[in-house]
Amino acid sequence: MTSGRRRTVALVVCGLGWLAATGTASAHGGSLAGGGRESLTIPTWLFLSTGGAAVGASFLLASFVTDRTFVERIHGWGRPLSGGFEGILRLAGQLVGLGGLAAVFVVGFLGPTNARTNLAILLVWVGWWAGLAMTTYLVGNSWATLNPFKTLAQLLPTLDRPYPDRVGSWPAVGGLLVLVWLEVVSPLADQPRLLASVVAGYTVLTIAGALVFGPDDWFAHADPVERVFRYYGRFAPIGRDEDGLRLRLPGMDLSTPRLVDGPDEVAFVVALLWVTTYDGLVTTPAWRDLTTPIVDAGVPPHLLYPVALAVGFAGFLGVYRLAVRLSRDMSETYLAPAVLAQRFAPPLVAIAVGYHFAHYLGYFLVLAPSLAVALTSPFADPAVVPTIELPEWFGAIALASVIIGHLVAIWVAHAAAYDLFPARLQAIRSQYPFIAVMVFYTMTSLWVVSQPEVALPHL
Amino acid sequence: MTDTATQPVADTAATDTDEEAVYDVPADATAYRCSYCGRPFARESWLALHRGLAHPSELDDEEVEAFRAAHDEEEESLSTFRLQALGALVLIYFGFLMVYALV
Repeated sequence: MTSGRRRTVALVVCGLGWLAATGTASAHGGSLAGGGRESLTIPTWLFLSTGGAAVGASFLLASFVTDRTFVERIHGWGRPLSGGFEGILRLAGQLVGLGGLAAVFVVGFLGPTNARTNLAILLVWVGWWAGLAMTTYLVGNSWATLNPFKTLAQLLPTLDRPYPDRVGSWPAVGGLLVLVWLEVVSPLADQPRLLASVVAGYTVLTIAGALVFGPDDWFAHADPVERVFRYYGRFAPIGRDEDGLRLRLPGMDLSTPRLVDGPDEVAFVVALLWVTTYDGLVTTPAWRDLTTPIVDAGVPPHLLYPVALAVGFAGFLGVYRLAVRLSRDMSETYLAPAVLAQRFAPPLVAIAVGYHFAHYLGYFLVLAPSLAVALTSPFADPAVVPTIELPEWFGAIALASVIIGHLVAIWVAHAAAYDLFPARLQAIRSQYPFIAVMVFYTMTSLWVVSQPEVALPHL
Repeated sequence: MTDTATQPVADTAATDTDEEAVYDVPADATAYRCSYCGRPFARESWLALHRGLAHPSELDDEEVEAFRAAHDEEEESLSTFRLQALGALVLIYFGFLMVYALV
């Protein structure tokens, strides 16, 4: 990283830092682009405490807004969007989705084996997981229509077994963890054949599930990908309610009651946040140093990664539940802990959105020209593919997006608390444990970001 | 959960059907229950505020009076809180300003 870029980063941290959180969580899938972490000229402890203080200060600022009607007006703002072309758009979207899936299979199995030129790799990581996911929270959830697995499942007959209520969304929680574990430990972004095989496996599993329980129940409860996109879509300015499409302010729909309904859905939101952290954590030198003695003692690394993923998830969930308990004590409310856990989970989606945007915007822009070339000639294997060189100030956009994610999260939690509690000071007090956890989480993420990135150890 | 299940609910916690799941009142605690929806509160002033916010059109004069009193009291404690929060912000700001000057 050049000194100019470093200066920009330091400037942003100093200038904006105290007002809000900073940093980017590194993620995988980024092995195509040289996904660089920021290195800083200020000491790490100061960098971390600045980020932590920024989150705390944002909370204090939000707590100044105590006018109930103002809070409700912001969250209620919106207008209907008339959609006369919806039928045609829907069909077009489904066809695009199916075409994309077919391309991943055909080019993945038969195309060039070079990850930089293979359309399947570029389409999945650049087009879908970076690009489409970004449009999901910036514009609206188009995956609900594009989802080729759903389109296929709707064409097939179904046994229509009743979906077991007791199981709820736990399969989606497990599915998300498994997908991230696969993404971290296997070269999914390097080997087109492997990627196409995994997508094929996912297709078989999903279609089988939809065959047994019916596509509506399966995609509403058990499918992890559909759920990630649905939550991301809740952040978007365009959303769907009873009357069709509706315009609203970004993030404000996250305060809707019953968006997260039940402990399984709380667990999913927490898992979404945890996997973002896990993704970056396993490539830090500290992780390598910590696990080397464990591996030397004879623990197989292939066991280490899933166990760490599960233990970390349990830890995150435990901390969140502890924060809910403390929040309940501090606000002296008689609402059940489950009610609080469900209302204060959706703001976490805004934080996940901020980190996703911070990491994948640059990744997407750098590789978008490669994707365009691969789209026009999927079976060619050119020696050189075009990429975009990002300007030096680009790191500031990533930092700013993390800031905005945290600001929205604090605001949405503020509004949810106002909705839950009759007394405003009670609402503010209920947020103390969550803000403490958020400060800690920000500092952890910033620490991960400030570490040099090392190759995945032991594998 | 589906998109259709997310219509705004005036008071989320105020459905009688799943009362057991929604409220959790310790056995030895005093609870002031709302006579309109049954939601329990730990303080009488919170009940008064809740009545004014959740059931504004159903209140009698006495309850309206109680809401006003509780509201005034709340305003007072809020302005104290605002001062404290402002103090904390100033501390954070100047604290970091000085640390950045020194480092």
